[in-house]
Amino acid sequence: MESLLSPVILFFALGALAAFARSDLAVPEPLSKALSLYLMCAIGLKGGVLVADNGFTTELFLAAAGGLALSCLIPFGAFVALRRIGKLDATNAAAVAAHYGSVSVVTFIAGNQILSDAGMAPAGYMIAVLALMETPAIIVGLFLARRNAALTFQPRQDLLRETLLNGSVVLLTGSFAIGLVVGKAGFVPIAPVFETGFTGLLCLFMLDMGLLAARRLLHARRLTLHLVLLAIVFPVINGTIGCALGAVLRLDTGTTTALGILAASASYIAVPAAMRLALPKADAGLYLAMSLAITFPFNITLGIPLYSMLAKLMV
Amino acid sequence: MVISVPHRKIEILVDAPLLRRLRQLASEAGVSGYTLQPTLGGDGDQGRWLDDQVTGGAGSKVVFTTIIDAAGAADLLSVLEPLLDEYGLMVTSSAVEVISARS
Repeated sequence: MESLLSPVILFFALGALAAFARSDLAVPEPLSKALSLYLMCAIGLKGGVLVADNGFTTELFLAAAGGLALSCLIPFGAFVALRRIGKLDATNAAAVAAHYGSVSVVTFIAGNQILSDAGMAPAGYMIAVLALMETPAIIVGLFLARRNAALTFQPRQDLLRETLLNGSVVLLTGSFAIGLVVGKAGFVPIAPVFETGFTGLLCLFMLDMGLLAARRLLHARRLTLHLVLLAIVFPVINGTIGCALGAVLRLDTGTTTALGILAASASYIAVPAAMRLALPKADAGLYLAMSLAITFPFNITLGIPLYSMLAKLMV
Repeated sequence: MVISVPHRKIEILVDAPLLRRLRQLASEAGVSGYTLQPTLGGDGDQGRWLDDQVTGGAGSKVVFTTIIDAAGAADLLSVLEPLLDEYGLMVTSSAVEVISARS
């Protein structure tokens, strides 16, 4: 209940309510883009600084291996469910499955903030795990699509660029590396920008995300009841598996919750762009509606407290 | 004194991730000049789309406009053929007059 009343969530709810009420409230697009760049830069820097402080621990490598495994395996289960329960064709099922294997940076940032406020800050190396989990699911998604549907035109160079050099991946890993290099001492002079204003700017960004998610939902035409249910069941199952894996790997409660959040989240930045290139026949309105309009709000409001509770029970 | 020369105007609504590929194909077809315009959103077979900067890659579409002679237009449409069905490009071609000052 406490996390539901955090400013981050309340601003998200305000954005969603405004969109549902057909208000003309809007965050200017360039500001929205700038906020997302700022947040990714700040979270990457902070993660790098924490790892510079604590060093490369066994837990870091275990969490990275666990995250990679989740990102590779989740799309297989999601694909089967989407085919059998969601009644999607192979191309759409593969595209949606890739989104659920990958991760949502914003869900992670919001979760990180909520956990930190609750005194359960995840380990800084989870930023590296987040970056590692962005792309493997894209490759698995394409493998599933190739095995199950006839694909023709493939602009491989563009796809590779979109997958590995996607702006969010570059900024996250780049700022993480800068944080590693500069360490705590180097971070102090820039902390007023990247630390002091962080929560306030996150609130503003979440307002825009609320608007975006609700408008996506209002405009989604191909969502069936089965797909809506899957978009809620996927994060619950994946989040539970993530938490269980964190507990098996003996990660602390906050870090286990973060692994659960990453497993439960669905990408709506890196994967959609790659899917538009690689699987153009897949319906972008469908995979964006599922990941952004249903799974993202679910994770932000109910999922994060649920994974936090599960982690407390399992660790 | 002005002169007007008949040309073809080709307009292509393209997904932002595919823009690099389109530029490359246009260049191969001999297109040396074009203009890119951002979009706000629209509606179509797959529902309404919004050009938001956050999910940038999938939702974003760009209008690529070029004005070329009839032979150049035919070359461009020919290299675009593989993309037309696969990517659902919306391509329009229209007759225009390019006005310039007689020197």
